[in-house]
Amino acid sequence: MVWFGLEDEDYDRKYGDRELIKRILPYFKPYKKKLVLVISCLVCSALLGSMIPLVGNLLLTEGSNETLLITFLVGLFLLTGLSYLLNYIQWSASSSIVGNLILNLQKDAHNAVINQDMTFFDKYPVGKLLSRINSDTTNFADMAQIITESSSSLLIVILIFIPLFIFNWKLALIVLGSFPLVLITALSFRKAARKRSLEGQKALSIVNAFVNESMSGIQVMKTFRQEKKMYNQFNEVNAQSFRVNFRRALLLNYIFPTLTLIQGLVVAGIIYFAGILPSGSLNLYLFIQSIWLLFFPLFSISAFWPQFQSGLSASERLFSLIDAERQVNQTKENICTIQNGSIDIENLTFAYKEGTNVFDNFNLHVTPGESVAIVGHTGAGKSSLAKILGRLYEFQGGTIKMDSIDIRDFELNCLRSQIGFIPQIPFLWADSLENNVKYGKLDATKEEVMDALELAGGADWVDDLPKGLETDVGERGKVLSMGQKQLVAFARILLKNPNIFILDEATASVDPFTETRIQEALEQTLKGRTSIIIAHRLWTVRKVDRIIVLDHGKIVEEGSHDELMQKGGKYSELYNTYFKHQSLEYIEEIGKIQTMVN
Amino acid sequence: MSQYQVEKIGDLSENYANGVEFGLENDPFSRARKKGSFRWIIKHLFYKSNTWLILNWFIFMVISNIAFPGLLAALRDTINFIIDNAANFTDPLILRDFIYLVLIILAWGLVRPIFGMVGNFSRELLAQRMERDGRHEFYLSLLGKSQNFHDQQKVGEIMARTADDVRMLNYMVSPALALIGEAIAELIIPIFAILIDPKYPSQLAIIPSIFIIFLVCYVQKYFKRLGPVTRDLRTNFGEMNSVLNETLSGIEVVKGLTLEDYETKKYLSKSSAYRNALIKQGKIEAKYLPILIMSIVIVVGLGHGVLINLGYISSPVPFGIAEIIAYISLLVSLRRPTFISLWTFQIIRYAQSAAERLLEMMNEEAEILDTSKGKSYEIIGRVTFDNVSFTYPKSKNPVLKNLNFEVSPGQTVAIVGTTGSGKTTATKLISRLYDVSKGDILIDGRPLREYTLESLRHQIAYIEQDVFLYATTIFENISFGRVSSIEEVEIAAKDAQAYDFIMKYPDRFQTKIGEGEDSVQLSGGERQRIAIARAFISDPKILILDDSTSAIDSATEDKIQRAMKKVAEGRTTFIITHRLSQIRWADLILVFKRGEIIAKGNHHELLKTCDEYRKIFLKRFDIPIEVLVKEGI
Repeated sequence: MVWFGLEDEDYDRKYGDRELIKRILPYFKPYKKKLVLVISCLVCSALLGSMIPLVGNLLLTEGSNETLLITFLVGLFLLTGLSYLLNYIQWSASSSIVGNLILNLQKDAHNAVINQDMTFFDKYPVGKLLSRINSDTTNFADMAQIITESSSSLLIVILIFIPLFIFNWKLALIVLGSFPLVLITALSFRKAARKRSLEGQKALSIVNAFVNESMSGIQVMKTFRQEKKMYNQFNEVNAQSFRVNFRRALLLNYIFPTLTLIQGLVVAGIIYFAGILPSGSLNLYLFIQSIWLLFFPLFSISAFWPQFQSGLSASERLFSLIDAERQVNQTKENICTIQNGSIDIENLTFAYKEGTNVFDNFNLHVTPGESVAIVGHTGAGKSSLAKILGRLYEFQGGTIKMDSIDIRDFELNCLRSQIGFIPQIPFLWADSLENNVKYGKLDATKEEVMDALELAGGADWVDDLPKGLETDVGERGKVLSMGQKQLVAFARILLKNPNIFILDEATASVDPFTETRIQEALEQTLKGRTSIIIAHRLWTVRKVDRIIVLDHGKIVEEGSHDELMQKGGKYSELYNTYFKHQSLEYIEEIGKIQTMVN
Repeated sequence: MSQYQVEKIGDLSENYANGVEFGLENDPFSRARKKGSFRWIIKHLFYKSNTWLILNWFIFMVISNIAFPGLLAALRDTINFIIDNAANFTDPLILRDFIYLVLIILAWGLVRPIFGMVGNFSRELLAQRMERDGRHEFYLSLLGKSQNFHDQQKVGEIMARTADDVRMLNYMVSPALALIGEAIAELIIPIFAILIDPKYPSQLAIIPSIFIIFLVCYVQKYFKRLGPVTRDLRTNFGEMNSVLNETLSGIEVVKGLTLEDYETKKYLSKSSAYRNALIKQGKIEAKYLPILIMSIVIVVGLGHGVLINLGYISSPVPFGIAEIIAYISLLVSLRRPTFISLWTFQIIRYAQSAAERLLEMMNEEAEILDTSKGKSYEIIGRVTFDNVSFTYPKSKNPVLKNLNFEVSPGQTVAIVGTTGSGKTTATKLISRLYDVSKGDILIDGRPLREYTLESLRHQIAYIEQDVFLYATTIFENISFGRVSSIEEVEIAAKDAQAYDFIMKYPDRFQTKIGEGEDSVQLSGGERQRIAIARAFISDPKILILDDSTSAIDSATEDKIQRAMKKVAEGRTTFIITHRLSQIRWADLILVFKRGEIIAKGNHHELLKTCDEYRKIFLKRFDIPIEVLVKEGI
């Protein structure tokens, strides 16, 4: 398979940590109140936590006084109860913040992707996009949860330090001296850790993409007994994920042992200096106690360091996706009402990739209500034209006007709602038949749906389905046959009732019985509507007002069927290689000749 | 690495050659899969050398944790030493002893991280293996499932399970189980330390022990409570994935119909459900009692220690400042494992839910295909349908009813009919993608069941409607059916009328198809011809051409007709077609309607006997009435 590699996508960027944090912070903004609550709980918990050594210290010094002893113990009990309550509040609140954080991140990622133009989707496999939007967001949120935990730990660290300093600044300095070591350890491998985390996530998204493709084509695989081949490729992908993630895990797990090492050194150091320097033994107790309490938060941070790193790299991948440039350029965002439906294309230049122009200074004018058939060899640009008109792809040069207004002025969705576009391969959702038709007009009634289906070649086939209109058509509509899917796509457009019709070979593969019906329906709907049909049916070219012959992005001939046949040029060549195969006369003649030859 | 995996499932190539349906047969985990997620996870954890890893990790982890009480004991001794000899610290002998004690502390301090690191290595290796092997097993089981299974599944759902649910297994080992192991060690070892070390009064072990017992009981209940909500989380994730996958797969249509907002709403409702489950889980976690109990325990323990120290409670050994410091430190070390248990048990429960989902899919019975009695026969090509009826499994309505016809070897059969009349389904039965519900399909007089699947599918080629090509080179796509030389592929391409367009690409047969920078997108007609070339390579005795292509390639209709004629030569060919020329000149035409054959015969016979058929050839504007009269209509 082609995309095994762990390279970045084109839209991937490197973000500095500060930049990342700047991007992340706004997501916390809507939850300011809850955040404040969480932080205050954490601060209070930290305060309470730091009190234990102090109180313990007091107990030992004043313990001979019984009443004080009891008061302290009771006080401590109350404090623990309070600490629990605070913990509960803090945890619930931070769960809620994290949950909403994920939702908002997913919303932004989804939004960014869905508004990209088609070149984006041609480039990037669905599986990888899926990984980013779903898996990376949850990864990131895990990290967010950890941050709240860690910040309380950090607070405790700071708070404990204050009394420590007050009691014996010399020993406190020794403890402080260990901190740079901790910091350096944590920061030193940051770059490598981030890189490994990113690789880990890429490897996972490759697994996603692979599974997507192999499961989508499972029927072919089985029919040709290619399971073994797929299996071998799977093993490669899986093994890669194994290798990459193992390396990541190893690197990220060094922190905890290192901190333990530092802790051991610090303790030994303190004891040594405690022996050397004169100091009260009771304060020694305080110190040792505090060291444990101090290192515990650091330990918890380190235990979650791997998650933290993958969270950061997840956020990097997310923001890369969200920031990916959009190709489609708007000039304005006007409301679009196309009354007449005239189309004026002037000097259009378009290429999918640099260097291979599909259209080069292309011109076309369609008057309102006119039906135009576009014919030509493959690669002539027919489908591209349809997609450009619908702004699914951005064109590089020239202008396109509808009703004499530049289509770039129109708000995208508005423009598209005025155009009825039926693509080559109809796409259906895993939903009921009725809902699938209603995608043309979300608030249509059942009667309207049936009428649309009836108009689109007849609806008696609906009765043959197990639950009629309610039948779930399955993923991509796999329950229905190809012809049925076409009819549904057609019915959708009829419901939508747009002023401009663009058909990309809509009726090319329906059985002859139904095809005639669709043709009748088409004939009705073409009346008075501006239509551009990328034609493959003999019937179509006979019925339209004008035929345009495209060759390598240029109009080479124009006229009606009879006119063009008389010319004996490109069109008649096309007719002779292709359309004539649909002519019954021709079929009879050729067949007779072949049987005679045999 | 790959050797390890092949070895695990038994020799695949052998099974494959014997016509065994690819997939999980009697692999080491088949029994464990039936016994539930817990057993299955255990089986994986202790599979072969994994046991070694666990042992390794366990030993090193225990040693690393013993180091801590060891450190504390040394600390305690050192502090006592300081107190006892506070006056004499200038004495070089005393100093030497003191440094010696400090070095012991240092030594213990080093044991912890070093042994910890080694333990980590084993642990991480185990975690990654769990993920890799779990995914391997799951994917293999997917390959072995019947077509019917895949028809029922959403690809997004499968992706969620293969990528993310499996990943949970990894997290379950590291960090979850690892931390739990350490936590258990951190809980138990202090108690042992108290009991074993003569310098601690044994009574001090009481309070921490009570706490541990409580913790164990509570955790069981907690685990149960987490079950449903973690299950929900995984389910919601799967649904989220499916919806998004669908949207992105059909993005062209979504945009054309300006349905971005609608699709976004659908997605957000799924992700909101996910969020709600998260919050619910958070609330359960927030109530985690052991946090409270642990604080109380520390206080009580502290009180206990103080009381002994101040003489209120008697103790057989002296309990001074040093001892208290050590003891309190032990108690405080209970904090970490308690917090860990809160967090890690959730991960484990999560992973178990994920494992349940995996097993659910893996255990779904392969619907079909009793191949035990099959033999490998060479097919000549006579196909008979004897009163065949078919209903999809899990469905009630028959899709095909009482199909009866016979095809001689080498004949070309055109199958026509209204949309949804069962044409495609009928052909799928021939290569046994599904089994008939009633009646029989015979090849050369023998029922399909008597053939091995391998021999059937080797000799029957199927070219589907929506040609699916893999994101690889044209050469690979054509030779997909067999290992072939470049000459063979070129000949096949020529016969399929694909050679010319392939040669136009700079990379020619090495041109990559699909998404990505250096790949090309082929038109519908080009894809079809690649599929036809594929069929030439596999040289089947029976060819099924589902010719309902969407984008007919205008420039090459001639070529396609020629290719189809050529590929049908000398083999029994079924063509599901709408091309009138194919219909007109077929040896036999079958007209389907609503799952039944309403007419069969050649063109002339049908013109006379079948109204529906006549309509096709009538409603044409370019046939003068005279011609029709001549035809005898």
